[in-house]
Amino acid sequence: MLEVLSDLAGGFGVALLPANLLMLLAGVLLGLVIGVLPGLGGTSGVAILLPVSVLIAGSGTGGPTTAIIFLAGIYWGALFGGVITSILFNIPGEPWAVALLFDGYPLAKRKGRPGLALGSSFVASFVGALIATILLTFFARALAFEAIKFGPAELFAVFILSFTTLVGLGSEAPLKSVMMIAFGLLLASIGFDSLTGEPRLTFGHIELLSGITFVPVTIGLFGIGEVLASAEEQGIGFIERMNAKVGLRDIREAFGALRRRIKMVVPISVMGFLFGVLPGHGATAGSFLGYGLARQYSKNKAEFGKGEISGIMAPQAAADSAAVGSLVPMIALGIPGSPTSAVMMAGLFIWGLQPGPLLFIDHKDFVWGLIASIYLGHLLTFVICLAAVPLLAMIMRTPYAIITPFIVVISIIGSYSLNNSMLDVFITIGFGLVGYWLRKLKYPLAPLVVALVLGDSTERELRKALIGSGGDPSTFVTSTVGGLPLAATMLFLSVMLVLLPVIRSTRSRRRAVADDPAH
Amino acid sequence: MVIAAVAMFDTRKGALPDVAGGAPGGLSGGFYPFWSAAVLFTFSALVALRSLTTPQAVLGVFKDRRSVASVLALAVPMVVASALIPYLGFYLMTALYMGFFAAVLGRYRWSWVLAIAILFPLVIYLIFEVGFRVSLPKSIFYDVVRF
Repeated sequence: MLEVLSDLAGGFGVALLPANLLMLLAGVLLGLVIGVLPGLGGTSGVAILLPVSVLIAGSGTGGPTTAIIFLAGIYWGALFGGVITSILFNIPGEPWAVALLFDGYPLAKRKGRPGLALGSSFVASFVGALIATILLTFFARALAFEAIKFGPAELFAVFILSFTTLVGLGSEAPLKSVMMIAFGLLLASIGFDSLTGEPRLTFGHIELLSGITFVPVTIGLFGIGEVLASAEEQGIGFIERMNAKVGLRDIREAFGALRRRIKMVVPISVMGFLFGVLPGHGATAGSFLGYGLARQYSKNKAEFGKGEISGIMAPQAAADSAAVGSLVPMIALGIPGSPTSAVMMAGLFIWGLQPGPLLFIDHKDFVWGLIASIYLGHLLTFVICLAAVPLLAMIMRTPYAIITPFIVVISIIGSYSLNNSMLDVFITIGFGLVGYWLRKLKYPLAPLVVALVLGDSTERELRKALIGSGGDPSTFVTSTVGGLPLAATMLFLSVMLVLLPVIRSTRSRRRAVADDPAH
Repeated sequence: MVIAAVAMFDTRKGALPDVAGGAPGGLSGGFYPFWSAAVLFTFSALVALRSLTTPQAVLGVFKDRRSVASVLALAVPMVVASALIPYLGFYLMTALYMGFFAAVLGRYRWSWVLAIAILFPLVIYLIFEVGFRVSLPKSIFYDVVRF
């Protein structure tokens, strides 16, 4: 306990360095703008700016710490920013702000209280994130110190478990999720085999020998793919003007409302955090979960959908706490907790860090600097939001004909500048088209990115485990940590996680066919 | 239409593993990609089968012609622009590309189009080339005009 606090104090020392504070501010501001712009989301924002973070890591005094603080700042900013357009214009700037449409817009429009609606969401974000960050401060370290004892067999099982939770919890299309994971693993294996040096899947192309790196792919899938997807929905055009000032009175009232709902907001934040810790689910799923829970257990259900403050606070607190929670598996286990943290983790690899439990020992400054910056980042975002809402609402009106090509240009710079390679640019454009098409056909993109990022490590642990046991696969059953067969348990869980949803969805489809009178 | 699209999409993907295969032996380098390819193949076959056997309520992948047009309006210039980079260099491409959007999609006045086409490459130059010291691709006219 004391140790954690002294580590955290050291982290604040790192995060408060001028260079880090400056980059946190830059990240938060960029995140807010990205959040407000409808064509660009937090994940794509982080992906597009990943190469910039590489430059920061290479040039600045803080190195990777400054870079991760910058990237995380974008995430926090986007979390707040996406809400603004939801509440004021009924257009979600981010997927995680969709749940805010139900009650945020009615409160702003019908009840004429945009300030109160925004204030409530900011306050709830802040509290949710604060609770989650406190949990992360204590939880992540404990988890990491357990995880250090893991051997290759356990690590392999952890990776497999993280893939299968993507399938098991991404309830919509389990088969498609498995496909995307396999596709990601396949892409990750292109290039030199790291153990034998044998070229794989290169079809004789020298350029492919170094493999397909995830940066151009993620920039394409998320950045370009999202721009294309939003091009289709540009019928919106008309945006009405609304007075978007958040006054002191609104904030006081929002805090009062929070006090009355504290019994609802705190448990929802804790739930959101735990949900975020599960691999593959970040803020978006968290916010829907929060909204559902709040409605379910509310005394005045009838008020929901008409501008009920609980309907704003619950999803927002859950979204922010889930976003913070999604960083836990990244720093403690080396597994991304959400698509956005998958992209951040890609950054860690490029900056030369190995995400996982050893970070707590080898790169103390990095981990605790990041954790401290989460506290600071949310405080900063909160303050900026209160002051800058009218300005951010104006950004929303940036014309489509300027912002869209600009995003494309930035994406191209991003993918090119990493390796000075035109091939990367073509990969980005190609995967942009693929990503758009996959989106259209409702294939989940998160499993693809997670598998692409983790593919190499998964293969390495599998082969290390098999080499260690002399090629005997029973090592996954017999290997124990502290007397417990952890690897076997996790693998068993993984199998269940894949089988159950596949069976369930097949059944429900059969039933749907049977019930359909046309057939 | 959806069914056909999904099925075509899946067979295209499904075709990958046959080429990808490699020798599935013990711990050789081919082991891992082969099995990920095999899983991909199996599950895409399952999805294809399912989409062929279950009726789908969706009428079409796209809402209407207009949305197809708006996606193409974005996708085609993007592909063309990236293909031109090796010849025109990054800055000329940006100027043309952003100017094109401002003129065709935005329908701005020519003075605005010109301003956009000059301003954006300039800002990018200042941030990346001067600020971060990243050299972006130059055009084939580099010797004459220096960008």
